[in-house]
Amino acid sequence: MTALVFRKLGAMSRLWRLVAVLGGLLIALALPWLIYPPVAMDIVAWALFAVALDLLLGFTGLLSFGHAAFWGTAAYAAGTIAIKTGAPFPVAVAGAALVAMVLAVPIALLAVRRTGIYFAMVTLAFAQMVYYLANQWSSLTGGENGLQGIPKNLFGLDLSDPFYFYYAGLPIALIGLLIAWRVVHSPFGRVLVAIRENPARSRSLGFPVDRYKVMIFVISAGLSGLAGGLYAISHGFASLQEVYWTTSGKVVIMTVLGGIGTLWGSVIGAALIVQVEDYVATSGIHLGPLNITGPGLITGLIFVGVVLLFRRGVWGTIAHLVRSRRRGVPDVEPHLSGTPSVAEREPAVAPKS
Amino acid sequence: MRRNLIPAISTLAVVSLLAACGGGAGGPSSGGGKISDDKIVLGVINDQTGIYSALSGPNAVEAVKMAVEDFKAKHADDAVSKNIEVVVADHQNKPEVANTKAQEMYDRQKADIILDVPTSSAALAVASQALAKKKLYFNITAATTALTGDKCNKYTFHYAYDTYMLANGTGTTVTEAGAKNWYIVYPDYAFGQDMEKSFTKAIETSGGKVVGKKSSEFPNTSGDFSSQLLQAPAAHPDVLGTMHAGGELVNLVKQYNQFKLKDKGVGLSVGLMFITDIHSLGPDALAGTRFTDAWYWNFDQQNRDWADKFKEKTGSRPSFAHAGNYSAAMNYLEAVQAAGTDESDAVVKNLEGKEINDFFLRNGKIRAEDHRVIHDVYLAEVKPKSDVKEDYDYEKIVTTIPADKAFKPVSESTCKMGQG
Repeated sequence: MTALVFRKLGAMSRLWRLVAVLGGLLIALALPWLIYPPVAMDIVAWALFAVALDLLLGFTGLLSFGHAAFWGTAAYAAGTIAIKTGAPFPVAVAGAALVAMVLAVPIALLAVRRTGIYFAMVTLAFAQMVYYLANQWSSLTGGENGLQGIPKNLFGLDLSDPFYFYYAGLPIALIGLLIAWRVVHSPFGRVLVAIRENPARSRSLGFPVDRYKVMIFVISAGLSGLAGGLYAISHGFASLQEVYWTTSGKVVIMTVLGGIGTLWGSVIGAALIVQVEDYVATSGIHLGPLNITGPGLITGLIFVGVVLLFRRGVWGTIAHLVRSRRRGVPDVEPHLSGTPSVAEREPAVAPKS
Repeated sequence: MRRNLIPAISTLAVVSLLAACGGGAGGPSSGGGKISDDKIVLGVINDQTGIYSALSGPNAVEAVKMAVEDFKAKHADDAVSKNIEVVVADHQNKPEVANTKAQEMYDRQKADIILDVPTSSAALAVASQALAKKKLYFNITAATTALTGDKCNKYTFHYAYDTYMLANGTGTTVTEAGAKNWYIVYPDYAFGQDMEKSFTKAIETSGGKVVGKKSSEFPNTSGDFSSQLLQAPAAHPDVLGTMHAGGELVNLVKQYNQFKLKDKGVGLSVGLMFITDIHSLGPDALAGTRFTDAWYWNFDQQNRDWADKFKEKTGSRPSFAHAGNYSAAMNYLEAVQAAGTDESDAVVKNLEGKEINDFFLRNGKIRAEDHRVIHDVYLAEVKPKSDVKEDYDYEKIVTTIPADKAFKPVSESTCKMGQG
């Protein structure tokens, strides 16, 4: 009897999933019609960046506070490749992702020896090193001037209109999201969750915990690089802001806002932050002497509100509500980290789907 | 985990909601009409609250608004459009912010021209947007000669001043007056780098030597220049040439006085100075310092008349950047009036080669070859406090440098206008 109900639920969830994926794609395709196209591209790039961070934060339990290093390095790399070689922009972006991954290897090897706040500090320190390096190495990065005039090449197509560039860039981000989804739903991803929940037990089961952490760190850096490269090409510009620590902070806020460990929540978080910042910056809201911190102030308030009221983030809360109503799962507060535990996410009685 | 996809539908609503607050600004853009969007939009991008806000900032916006009012008053009924707007953005002196703001101003706020843009790195970003969007950009407060050199383009014009003009005016005169050995300190971004090169060239051409140089981080958030200043005396220069501007210059001069470098035989020469800088420091801190000025409010009656109107609006006297913004806005509007359209190519055609004489542009001409707007400039000296008769009466004009001598000759320009 119960088995039958679960089978039915399984079929239903598969249908829902299909509808969700199609709906998401539809929104992604319609976005530049609804909002200013460069902002739409920003949302897509930041969404991929936030998803990449969620792989670490949500699925492995490692808070990286230095992901700007990968996003920014990739931005410079994509710009340099596009300017120097005139390669089509997808090649430049892919190359940039590769550069970010290479950079991530030594950082990961050192950083995974620590966890928690120490891990965050180590990654932050490395990111700041990258920042100062970028500032000093002005023959390559342009220093304070930034890397200007990055071309949008694609086999002679004119992509100078951001509306068309959006559709050229979107597939790259979708590939990135697909990779993230595959990682999470692979046996590899299961092991990551196990490591997050109980590293000692995972080790005792024979999983080389540190090696797993390094691998997911490098994958996350690669996806961040993909996003950063895309962002730089879209803006035609790579600047020091991209490697600055506030960028690392912004992506963490996006992920937390959307819901840690939900993958798609990060997309919502990115859309929310980018839209709010854009809205505040263009609406002409003047906060007197606080004018300059206007966008930061408002996103900050939203962040505080979400953390206090919906600890699972936007997506996490909705997912939880829907699930608890359907299954009658009691409303338990999530763990300190803000992530629902494995038990909560995957009830032991749930069928394999 | 997959089950997290299930509630997706409910969140679709959230996304659509988010999308809605962005406003329906999407879709490919379309061109049109004699006056696009039935209005002329002048955008001002500058530093509204930071180190360059005093020298241009909010008062530059006021100057542009004054130009719009005067234009409307002058052309009352035959004005090409009665609908003229001024929009503002703060770029915080960051090139990436300027880049995004310029793109948005052209796309979303339908700006036909962008004015001002201090900070050379930001100005270069705006110039590239102007080229991409085929809309005008009159730079006033950024100094880099790259705007009319390597990075020149059809839609970018350079008003007021540039590093060549400053170096040519100040570097040459100070060296020829006997200060042969220079120690140069400069902010490490496009403007400072360009100033350092221009000054070195001017100093060496007039028989001087640069005995040392040191850059400072930009923006120098700590306001500390001790490491740059304390190393200078060791090189035994006659003069310390500072290439800093605005709030940074003010900090640097204060520290120069604190460290008593003058007593150690190191004079001070300032690459770029606005009257607002002298005002913040007080004239005595700078008395006797010679510098090149693009315009001075108390030069003659014509200037004073405009400065009085400016004071009525803002309560302070104008810097040359303020006057330049007014003049640029006015001459743009006149060009639109003459062309009968705000279509960029027609306006550019009207502007190129035009000779203009107004209170700001004396013997002015817009060079067609590189879009440098040339005009008479001045070698000025800061008065001692005892000679100052009223607020902002700080400068004595030593000589007038004629327009054709003040700026880099076309023959030396690296601008290739045809190629953009």
